[in-house]
Amino acid sequence: MSELLKSHEMKRREFLKRTINVFIATSALIFSALFFRFVAPMFRRSSTEYFYLMPEEELPKRGVKKVEFPLQLDGRKKTGWIFISVVDSKVLALSPVCTHLGCIVTWDNNASEFVCPCHAGRYNCAGEVLSGPPPGPLARLPLKIDSGNVLIGWKV
Amino acid sequence: MGIAIRLLERFKLVTIHRRILKKPLPEKVSYGYCLGGMAFTFFLILAATGMMLTLYYVPSETEAFNSVLKITEDVPLGWLVRSMHKWAASLFIIFILLHTARVFAAKAYRAPREFNWMIGVMILVLSMGSGFTGYLLPWDQKAYWASEVGTSMAGTVPFVGEYLLQFVRGGRDVGAQTLIRFYSAHAFFIPVSIAVLLWMHFHIVRRQGISGRL
Repeated sequence: MSELLKSHEMKRREFLKRTINVFIATSALIFSALFFRFVAPMFRRSSTEYFYLMPEEELPKRGVKKVEFPLQLDGRKKTGWIFISVVDSKVLALSPVCTHLGCIVTWDNNASEFVCPCHAGRYNCAGEVLSGPPPGPLARLPLKIDSGNVLIGWKV
Repeated sequence: MGIAIRLLERFKLVTIHRRILKKPLPEKVSYGYCLGGMAFTFFLILAATGMMLTLYYVPSETEAFNSVLKITEDVPLGWLVRSMHKWAASLFIIFILLHTARVFAAKAYRAPREFNWMIGVMILVLSMGSGFTGYLLPWDQKAYWASEVGTSMAGTVPFVGEYLLQFVRGGRDVGAQTLIRFYSAHAFFIPVSIAVLLWMHFHIVRRQGISGRL
């Protein structure tokens, strides 16, 4: 076998080796991408579920009203509540959970503000912070009035 | 010096690889000699996708069907992984059979390679067992009745049939216990056994070399 032919053979072998390496690397890459996509944590697409709270005529004309509703928690029936606050004829549904550490705020009718019993966080009737440690306003729940019924939205 | 090269050198991996991968072949080998390798490739695909499927599959009477539905519809690329597992399963057995036919045609089953032929047959039987047990796992009507019929064949064995049937089903009927048994066999016992047998299969081929064409 001549020298020329030998070197040609080696080039061919080198080429095949590289082709195979590239093929294996590409397959491994595609497969690991598939793997990580497959095992990636699944986040539920959040959608808002509306449920019935009260009839429209029971909405306060102004001020704040505590509205109770039945709740099923861990298979046990409980009563939950939220605050319906009417500010400048706009109806707000405010969560009673203090944004500081999660205590339940109460409505002080005389001072016309929400007060958190834990660290004296104070909010006005729109849920905005007046004083104290809360980092942000009370959460506003989506609210819908549909053919005389007040519906409250819940992120599921 | 690159870390890869240094690792290869430290642990003398180059020599090992040379022994395994750069074995000279007899002359006139054809693509027919790739069939076993193809089957092994499908085994690797089955192992990889199977391990992935265990992340979402739940082998319980109430949850099995729903979890398969979830894999196919909700899990990102779940449909793809499940399809790959299903197709690779069929192709795995097809290529084992083609490989068997090639070995038979080349008369490579004869001494001194008779033990490797026997190991190959064991792998074939186990892979069919894997296919049978995997068929029950989607836990739908087809899966249920296929397993009902399939396992009832064990009952026709003379003398020990009744015991064998209940042993396979883990009870009198195909039920929750059967599902767990089949899942365990399909995802653990059979693949591990096949892996060990494949290791033996390949080592024997390396020791004895492949049989050239007659």
